[in-house]
Amino acid sequence: MPNGSRCPDCGSSELVEDSHYTQSQLVCSECGCVVTEGVLTTTFSDEGNLREVAYSRSTGENEQVSRSQQRDLRRVRDLCRILKLPQTFEDTAVSYYRKAYQLSGIRAARLQKKEVLVGCCVLITCRQHNWPLTMGTICALLYADLDVFSGTYMQIVKLLELDVPSLCLEDLVKSYCGSFKLFQASPSMPPKYVEDKDKMLSRTLLLVELANETWLVTGRHPLPIITAATFLAWQSLRPSDRLTCSLARFCKLANVDLPYPAASRLQELQAVLLQMASQLAWLQVLKLDKRSVVKHIGDLLQHRHILLRMAFRDGTEVVETEELQQQGQGQQEEVEDGALDLPKKKRPASPALLLPPCMLKPPKRTHPTPPVSVVTGDENISDSEIEQYLRTPQEVRDFQRAQAASQAAMSVPNPP
Amino acid sequence: MDQNNSLPPYAQGLASPQGAMTPGIPIFSPMMPYGTGLTPQPIQNTNSLSILEEQQRQQQQQQQQQQQQQTVAAAAASVQQSTSQQSTQGASGQTPQLFHSQTLTTAPLPGTTPLYPSPMTPMTPITPATPASESSGIVPQLQNIVSTVNLGCKLDLKTIALRARNAEYNPKRFAAVIMRIREPRTTALIFSSGKMVCTGAKSEEQSRLAARKYARVVQKLGFPAKFLDFKIQNMVGSCDVKFPIRLEGLVLTHQQFSSYEPELFPGLIYRMIKPRIVLLIFVSGKVVLTGAKVRAEIYEAFENIYPILKGFRKTT
Repeated sequence: MPNGSRCPDCGSSELVEDSHYTQSQLVCSECGCVVTEGVLTTTFSDEGNLREVAYSRSTGENEQVSRSQQRDLRRVRDLCRILKLPQTFEDTAVSYYRKAYQLSGIRAARLQKKEVLVGCCVLITCRQHNWPLTMGTICALLYADLDVFSGTYMQIVKLLELDVPSLCLEDLVKSYCGSFKLFQASPSMPPKYVEDKDKMLSRTLLLVELANETWLVTGRHPLPIITAATFLAWQSLRPSDRLTCSLARFCKLANVDLPYPAASRLQELQAVLLQMASQLAWLQVLKLDKRSVVKHIGDLLQHRHILLRMAFRDGTEVVETEELQQQGQGQQEEVEDGALDLPKKKRPASPALLLPPCMLKPPKRTHPTPPVSVVTGDENISDSEIEQYLRTPQEVRDFQRAQAASQAAMSVPNPP
Repeated sequence: MDQNNSLPPYAQGLASPQGAMTPGIPIFSPMMPYGTGLTPQPIQNTNSLSILEEQQRQQQQQQQQQQQQQTVAAAAASVQQSTSQQSTQGASGQTPQLFHSQTLTTAPLPGTTPLYPSPMTPMTPITPATPASESSGIVPQLQNIVSTVNLGCKLDLKTIALRARNAEYNPKRFAAVIMRIREPRTTALIFSSGKMVCTGAKSEEQSRLAARKYARVVQKLGFPAKFLDFKIQNMVGSCDVKFPIRLEGLVLTHQQFSSYEPELFPGLIYRMIKPRIVLLIFVSGKVVLTGAKVRAEIYEAFENIYPILKGFRKTT
C-alpha cells in the first residue's frame, strides 16, 4: 500500500504487503524487490497482540559483548530467576558483572573464576538489599568450591570498592525457618510433630537473639546456630512428645540438611539456658539438666534480660536478684519449703563469665614468652656452625648412589 | 542442599547499606600537657570582668612566658596542625582552651594594654611530652619477619641440594631450594637467580643474622655469594587485649575499613590506612597485625586500634 515509501530499486510507490509463509513482507509490485520484511508492528491493534522484546534477547547486545560475557550475563539472569528475586535485583547484578568484566584482572581470569563471579554479583546484590542469601546456597547452585568462591568474592569487593552490609540475621532466620517442612502433616510426619509457623518463628527469633547476646553468634557461621535454635524452639513448644526426637532426626523430618557444627551449638545454647535457669527461684529446686530445661524455655525467654544479668558476671548487681526473687514469689506458687528457703542475698550458683566459648576453654598449650634474645645481626658466624649443614664427601657419594638406584628402579618397568 | 532456596518474596525495603562515616582514624599524636614552669591559661568566658582578671593573671606570669616565647613560637606552628587533628581529650582536660586561648589574645580589651606583643599566646607549652591519654600498656609481640637478600651470583640449585644437608629441592613442585637452619629457627627459599627469601625469624636482627648464615652456607658450597640489598619485606605481630569484642558492631561503625564475613572467616579484617597495616581481629580479643615494614608501624597501628576496640568492649 502506498504509504510514502518507495522501492529502492525502481522507485515505484506501488508497494504491496505480501507475506511469505508467516513472515510479512513489503514487496514492490513492479520489480518484485523486497523492501522490508519482518516488521515488528504495523498497526496499533497489531501491537496489542505482540509481546515486547527485552534488549537482552534482541541482537543489539551481542555485537558489543564477547561470547563468554554474554553467556555469563545470561547465567546471572537465570540465577536471579531461580532464586525468585525481583527484577531490579537482576539489573543490578548484571551491572555489577559488567563493571567487573571491565577490570583486566577479571577479563583474563579463568573460566572457573568467571563462573563463580556470576554468583558473587548476585550475592552482593542480595546483601545490599538485605535479602538473606547465604554463600552456601550460591555455591551449591553453582556447583562451586567455597574456597574459590571466597577468594573471588573478597577480590571483587575490594576491586570494585563496594560496601557490602553483613548478612541480616533476622531475615535469615525467617527464611530458613520457613523452609523447614514442619507445618503440615504428611505420611512421614506424625501430627504431634506438626507446629504452627508463627509461634515457631517468634520463639526461634528470641532464641537466636539470646545466642547473639551470649557470644554464641559472633565469629561463627550463622546457619548452624539457627538450626539449633529452631530445634530447641520446636521441642519446647510441645516438650512431652518431642523430647525424644534427636537433632538429626528432626532435620531429616523437616527435609533440611543438618550442618555439622549445629550439634555443638546446641550444647552451648543448652548450657546458657541452664545457667539462666539456675537463677530462677522456682526452677532452682527442680535440678534441671540440659534436656529438661527445654520444658521451661518459655519462662526463661520471658525473663531473659534479667536472667542474663544475674546469671552471668560482668559487674554483678545484687539488686536484680532481689527484684526477681520478689517477682518469682509473686507469680508462681511457692515451691520452696522451709529447708529450701533461700536467704535474700545469697545466690545459689556463682555467676559464670559471659564470654565467647573460645575464651572459656582452657588454652591448648601454654604460650611461654620468648626469651629476650640480644642479637645484633652482625655477630661472627663460626665455621663449625656452617659445617654442620654441609654434607661430607662420603655422604654426597652415598646420596648420589641412592639417587641413581631409585632412578633405575623407576625406569625398570618398561612396557615390552 | 537447598538451604535458602524457597524465598518468599516479602516486601523489600530497598534500604541502602549502612554507611556510618567516621571522620577518620584518630591519629596517634602526642597531647599537650603543660611543661615545667608554665601554668595553663585559665578558661576564657564571655564575661568581660573575668577576662580582665585573666589579663591580670597573665601579666603576673609574663616573665616566665617571655623566656619561652622564642622556642614556643617556632614549635607552635608545627604543633598547631597536630592539635587541630586531635580528637581525644587529654587527661589534663585543658586542650580545648588552647584553641580558644589562641584566638582570644589577639583582641586587646579596652582599657588594658596588651602586655605580650606576640599574637600567639605564649602560654602554650608545646613540648610534646608523654601522651596524656593512657597507652594500652600492651606491646604486640613480633611473630614472623620476611626478608629478602640478593646473593649476587647465579646458583646451581642441583649442586646446592646435593651437597647441603638441610636443603630440599623438588623442581617439579617449586623452582627453588628450601633450606632451613636451627639457630635462629628460620627457612629460606633460594632461587637460581641468586635471590633469597628468609622467613620465620622473630626480630629484625635475627632475620639479618639468619640471612647471613644462609649466605655463608652457599659460600662454603663454592659459589661467590655476596650479601647485597638486605631488606625486610613484611613483619607480623600479635597481641591480646584480654576482653571479647563485638565484631558486628565494629563492622557497622568502621565499614570503610573492615570486612567481616563470618561465613568465610571468623575474624574481622581491618585495613588501616595510616599506617598501612592489615589487622585480623577476633572475638576472643586476639589481634594479629601484618603488612609492616618497620616495627614502629605495628606499635602505632595497635595504639590506633586499641581505643576503638575498647569502645566495643561489651559491658553487660
